[in-house]
Amino acid sequence: MVSQKVTVSNPTGLHARPAGVLAKVAAPFKSDIFIFAGEKKVQVKSVLSIMAAAIKKGTEVEIQCSGEDEEAALKAIVEALEGGLGE
Amino acid sequence: MERICVDKTASRGIAVAPVYLYLDPDLNADSGQILEEQIEDELKKFADAKAVVIRDLTKLSEKNEIFAAHLEIADDFMLQDGVENKVKNDLKNVQQAVAETIEEFAVIFDSMDDEYMKERAADVKDIGKRLMAEIKHVKLPDLSGIAEPVVVVARDMFPSDTVKIDPSLVKGIITEEGGVTSHVSIIAKSMGIPTLVGVKGILSKVTDGEIICMNAEDGVIIVKPDEASVEEYQRQKECYESEKARLESLRNTPAVTKEGKRIYLCANVGNLQDIRNALPVNIDGVGLFRSEFLYMQNTHFPTEEEQFKVYKEAAELSPQELTIRTLDIGGDKELSYYEFEKEENPFLGWRAIRISLDMKDMFKDQIRAILRASAFGHVRIMFPMIISAEELKEAKDIVEECKKELEEKGQAFDREIEVGMMIETPASVLLADEFAKEADFFSIGTNDLTQYILAVDRGNKKIAKKYDYFHPAVLKAIGQVIEAGHREGIKVGMCGEMAGDQKAVELLLDLGLDEFSMSAGSIDYVREQIINRK
Repeated sequence: MVSQKVTVSNPTGLHARPAGVLAKVAAPFKSDIFIFAGEKKVQVKSVLSIMAAAIKKGTEVEIQCSGEDEEAALKAIVEALEGGLGE
Repeated sequence: MERICVDKTASRGIAVAPVYLYLDPDLNADSGQILEEQIEDELKKFADAKAVVIRDLTKLSEKNEIFAAHLEIADDFMLQDGVENKVKNDLKNVQQAVAETIEEFAVIFDSMDDEYMKERAADVKDIGKRLMAEIKHVKLPDLSGIAEPVVVVARDMFPSDTVKIDPSLVKGIITEEGGVTSHVSIIAKSMGIPTLVGVKGILSKVTDGEIICMNAEDGVIIVKPDEASVEEYQRQKECYESEKARLESLRNTPAVTKEGKRIYLCANVGNLQDIRNALPVNIDGVGLFRSEFLYMQNTHFPTEEEQFKVYKEAAELSPQELTIRTLDIGGDKELSYYEFEKEENPFLGWRAIRISLDMKDMFKDQIRAILRASAFGHVRIMFPMIISAEELKEAKDIVEECKKELEEKGQAFDREIEVGMMIETPASVLLADEFAKEADFFSIGTNDLTQYILAVDRGNKKIAKKYDYFHPAVLKAIGQVIEAGHREGIKVGMCGEMAGDQKAVELLLDLGLDEFSMSAGSIDYVREQIINRK
């Protein structure tokens, strides 16, 4: 398992559109991908799960990936979050 | 047979056609546990339903981005997991499993302390509805699936419904709720569909598929008509249509009054299609381009480039003028992607120019887009809801700022672009003298002006009779504004519903109105009145 901490930077937080973008980034990977934000555990491949967590801008989250392509998955998710998810 | 009389017509015309009842069917989940050997069958039902829903949404998402978001949710594996768990572990039937899973997600979104996320609950429920309808093998009424001429009978209709209407097949619309200035009325008028709104009890009186007669001229509906009535209404329809043909023959006659004054006849539009639809009527231009539709049918604030494309095309389509009203949201118009704080009195709240001046960058995107479009036609900028000279000045300064920016970038625009304002608040009436010195034109928005002057909510059915633009206070205001404008030599138009009311034409001509801007469907009538005025 690999993990990394990132701060959510896009202006609206993980709202519907950014959630959709993030889930699409996660979808092709075989690994299990989670985001931990405080008490919340988010299934990154699920738009509903991301939206339900309502993670706001400025929140520090931890991304955890485990599986055969975990390194690549982690890199992709970190880049997507740092890149502001298309906003 | 039953005859129903309605006192207000939303859009003229006569229709005889079968009823298309636009109502949600019963989508409640059947109760009952399943046996272990049924698990597979139940899961297959879900998989089949999901496949159909995804296919439908994929098709819809090609036309509208909103459905792309729905598609992601429908295809979400958490939704799938939720349903599977309930079927496999709790032995629930698939209908209950879907209903409960949807409800769980809807509750999460609903309980969030965030208006925007609360609205996502509606998305989830919408998908639940689609899935449930598929599983139950019931048809969700779909206006875009109408294949034969019908009269649509509904509780009310929203923008998401009216975009699906095909005016060649929807011959009439009757709604149980809503008023003549509601969304459906305005849209129906622009499409020329006979419409009666606020018809109490209509839903319980009609049956899907049976013939109904409506005369939206006289405000009469005949439910379950006998043969003689059907014939009578067919005849009326022919009369109406031949009268319409007579009016159409006047389209090339200029609207000049007996005193020799040329009156400008313009269309109120919400999108490019509305302009194309209005062109055959022979309009002088567009007196009101409601730019908010560009914002409302979107998933984000439209960029300068996105807006420019639309305004440019609108400028090229519009014959002599295109008056673009800057963003008028708030009040009853919201955006799916922006959170508005709940207000006690939204019509007296943060709306229209107030929002634009607070969100300057967003406003500037719009102004630059309009300015750039002004290189392609006679474009005019119009600000809504102005109440003070300071506001007008601030808005005009922003226009100047944008002009400079475009100049620096070497982009073309009309340096002499006219900048005017709506007269729709009592304050703007009282200060019309001052405003006339600063604005290049006025356009009287009678819908809001009437509601503000009379303190009568135009959406409230109980006091609908009090909402009257023939009230002396409103007429006096209109007269004062026209006079104030003419003293400073500027043109005064009107873009509220009153401008398209045949009963008001003579009066407005007497008051000196220069331009009438209305739904395209009313222009023929108003032109006839102007030409044939004794």
